[in-house]
Amino acid sequence: MFDKLEKTLSPIADALSKNKVLVAIRDGFMITVPIVIVGSIFLLIASFPIQNWTEMLASVFGQGWDSYLYRVVSIAFDTVALLAAVGIGYCYARELGVDNKIAGAMIALACFLIISPQKHPLFVNEAGRAFSGFAFANLGTRGMFLAMITGILSVQIFAWALKRKLIIRLPDGVPPAVMDSFASLIPAAIAIVIFSIVNIIFANTHYEYAHNFIYEILQAPLIGLGKTHLFEVIYQFLSTLFWFFGINGPAVTNTIFGPIHKALTLENYNAAQAGLQMTNIYTAGFSDFFCNFGGGGSTLGLVIMMSVIGKSNRIKTLGRLSLPAGIFGINEPIIFGLPIVLNPIMVIPFILTPVANTVLATLATVFKIIPITNGAQLPWTMPIGFSGFLITGSIVASLFQFFLLFVDMAIYYPFLRVLDKKYLEEEKNLVDVKDEIDELSFDDLALD
Amino acid sequence: MKVVLVFDQGLAGLGGKGNTHLPLTIQKGGIGSYLMLKPHFEEIHAEVIATLSCGIETFMDNPDDVVMKLCAMIKKLNPDFVLAGPCFDFKEFSLMSARVCKLLKEKGISQAVTMMSSDNTKVILDYAKEIDIIKMPKKGGTGLKDSFVELSKYMDFKYNQKAEFDDLRKQICY
Repeated sequence: MFDKLEKTLSPIADALSKNKVLVAIRDGFMITVPIVIVGSIFLLIASFPIQNWTEMLASVFGQGWDSYLYRVVSIAFDTVALLAAVGIGYCYARELGVDNKIAGAMIALACFLIISPQKHPLFVNEAGRAFSGFAFANLGTRGMFLAMITGILSVQIFAWALKRKLIIRLPDGVPPAVMDSFASLIPAAIAIVIFSIVNIIFANTHYEYAHNFIYEILQAPLIGLGKTHLFEVIYQFLSTLFWFFGINGPAVTNTIFGPIHKALTLENYNAAQAGLQMTNIYTAGFSDFFCNFGGGGSTLGLVIMMSVIGKSNRIKTLGRLSLPAGIFGINEPIIFGLPIVLNPIMVIPFILTPVANTVLATLATVFKIIPITNGAQLPWTMPIGFSGFLITGSIVASLFQFFLLFVDMAIYYPFLRVLDKKYLEEEKNLVDVKDEIDELSFDDLALD
Repeated sequence: MKVVLVFDQGLAGLGGKGNTHLPLTIQKGGIGSYLMLKPHFEEIHAEVIATLSCGIETFMDNPDDVVMKLCAMIKKLNPDFVLAGPCFDFKEFSLMSARVCKLLKEKGISQAVTMMSSDNTKVILDYAKEIDIIKMPKKGGTGLKDSFVELSKYMDFKYNQKAEFDDLRKQICY
């Protein structure tokens, strides 16, 4: 059965993880992560879920103290599409083998801005002049999928023109920076002209802008999928199923699910900023901090049990060595060391545990036992307890994380016992059979 | 076929990046990642008599001494075959494995093979002409199980001096 499953999954994993477009989108968003995390930290300080704390800061720094912090928050969240266009443009240029990758990023940025709304006739100042410029509303969540498409198409055009040698050649001896700049001129012009035409086409439809078209036709339906309960269950199931075969599950699944998670998270942020109710359950924070503890397969509970109740030396030692990393969400030592990969004993709990966490955390959110996760994006290494509180502002959510950890232990327990018993028997057999290997030591060894 | 495994600390199940100074260690039988290889080894009746492991920092601090000691220990164990790896895309482990295989070959101590992903460009360029390096995916890549099937075939064909060995080698090695 495993062989058949692997033969089915491997080509899918290959197709997704080696697809240049999907890889560029995934990696392009990764480039924006540090900025979003820094913005999230500013957001948490500005809206820390303890009222006394924010009141104390207001009494020290004066009312409106948080407006300075929100400037950073705004750049991280309200320009995420802009940042993504640059990141995706850069990564797609890399995937297509374009030497001048930063030029690819710049073309993507320019093309995204060309098709973004620049006139806002509804916003008129006292002098009766309409606001002209870029609105955060179009550079943030609403523009995310357009940024993805623009980043890919603009760089595709740019790379095509470069490949066709549609470039201005300068004589030898011209400095390389000048040479690169002129080489990019015609390819950049072709991409910009095409996007200008696209903008004109949309201006003559009822959509007015590509933003509105892509949002209605693509982004809203995809986000709609992300709001269904099966979305997160399928994501968690596939991520761990791939890992069992040694394939980095999230690297594959995030090519599809990553942008949707991101859009759902940012929608919650936007709702909170607008004073509306947050409605999306399956944010990046929910996925990171309620579905998995200690890495893929939610192995923190397993590692704790290995170190505490493991009887075989192998399990006990590996558990103790893996626990510090496990607290911070890293389980590489056990993925290959226990191992989890290709280990039929561990496949069931490894796949089942994150799915169980997802279902329980969804029920807890739906029945309002824990609050919905906010739009912050915290480092996924944030330890259990802290992460639950910071991502929801509720101590009950922290306690619920520990409840899930307990459930995880219960799921892993019988399977750990089987593996531990097997290793213990092997160790006992090896100790019982005395041979020359028992006498060998690396001290004073010489080859000749 | 009696086999000795050479692992880094991660594959040996002796910790990840937090235990890179693991000293040279010998343990009877197959440990850690051996469980992934076990069904393939059983098919070719290969029995792991011992696993030698070493932290990658321990190796990098004193590479000549570590390689010499690993080979000296293998000489004492006198196996039919040595597998150094699987190394995935782990750069230092790949270098250690390639150097062990090369010294074993030079000294005529034992048949040996290593396997690593194509990400280890420098090691492959430096050593693939002198030793056999079997292709495998990087950590998290596709085709892990297939590469283990090829490894076990390689060991079986080479140990039993089967005629198809050369064709197989051309197909699966760098």
